[in-house]
Amino acid sequence: MAEITAGQRFKAGFWADNPTLVQVLGMCPTLAVSNSLENALVMGMAVTFVLLGSNLITSLLRNLLRPHLRILIFTLTIAGFVTIADLFLQAHLPAASKKLGPFVPLIIVNCIIIARCEVCASRSSVRAALADAVGQGLGFTIALSILGVVREVLGSGTLLNRPVFDPQAFKPHAWVIMILPPGAFIMLGILIGAANQVRLRRARGGAA
Amino acid sequence: MNLDFSMLVTIFIATALINNFVFSMFLGICPFLGVSRKIDMAFGMGCAVTFVLTLSGLVTWLIVHAVIVPLGGALGLELTFLKNTVFIFVIAAMVQLVEMYIRKFFPGLYVAFGVFLPLITTNCAILGACLLIDMRGYGLVEAAAFSFAAGLGFAIAITIMAGIREHLVYSDVPQALRGPGITLLTAAMLALAFMGFAGMIR
Repeated sequence: MAEITAGQRFKAGFWADNPTLVQVLGMCPTLAVSNSLENALVMGMAVTFVLLGSNLITSLLRNLLRPHLRILIFTLTIAGFVTIADLFLQAHLPAASKKLGPFVPLIIVNCIIIARCEVCASRSSVRAALADAVGQGLGFTIALSILGVVREVLGSGTLLNRPVFDPQAFKPHAWVIMILPPGAFIMLGILIGAANQVRLRRARGGAA
Repeated sequence: MNLDFSMLVTIFIATALINNFVFSMFLGICPFLGVSRKIDMAFGMGCAVTFVLTLSGLVTWLIVHAVIVPLGGALGLELTFLKNTVFIFVIAAMVQLVEMYIRKFFPGLYVAFGVFLPLITTNCAILGACLLIDMRGYGLVEAAAFSFAAGLGFAIAITIMAGIREHLVYSDVPQALRGPGITLLTAAMLALAFMGFAGMIR
């Protein structure tokens, strides 16, 4: 089997193997922090950073890894990078860090990152592992941002904290449900359904 | 130690029902979506999570207050940045210990838990609970009430979901929504229902 090239790894993250829409991994942060675009972007960047770091280290260590210890090594590597990201956010973006609350340290148990270490980084070259990290990280950020835009516009009538509609006129029509927990479940369900619909239609078009 | 009993009841109800870990805190969503096809499996997972969550909630509290803080004080260093790493390490070790203990003394229970025990290590409900206990500055008894209630809330949520999904198998769901799509939409309705608890505590 030919090795998957770095370019293919990079592209897969956006659509064919998107972590949120196809692999359905890392659901907790996806649901919890997608109530505004700002939260979604900060979270997406933090996850991309941790992915890059841990994929790099895992790829460099791949010839030293022992099967029974690998998960432990992955987890400790990830925990190290998450601590860096957490302290960085606390220092430079304290407001965003406060809003995300426990979800920044919780990146440690985000299954996207462990899955990428296991599936890709522990068996590919550094170049492919880094391309994979960027692709998957951006794929995650994009899915999270779509949810963030829809929920923030419908629920609070703002985008990046700037009003989209006239606040006075919007207030009685706000879909408050969108920024509450059930809105997260509804929007993610619809988004995954819509992505599947596009996929099904393409598959049918390709067969005909 | 002065204990306020009503305070404990408040924490318990607020954590198990009002701020249910799955439906309003979004913690433990992966097993909630992944292991909710059959009621008995879901119930097993719920019990395993409650068990490990209560234990690791207590152990991480003890480590923070009996090791990290005094040691940092004695060395004159700020060691709290180690918390995240220490927490995940403790949880992984706890899961391993609990697994060995159950296999030795309760083989029946061990077979029933099956693959769920090792999976719990990466369940964000556990790490989330430990982090929240630390952030909110709970005492030991409050931490115990909080972590047990959080596990119980997770068990309730995943068991209800499995009950619904067992029936969902027989319904005609649009092809694109099959699998995760319809599960998330069902969860949305359950989350709406759980919002009804919001008025219980002022």
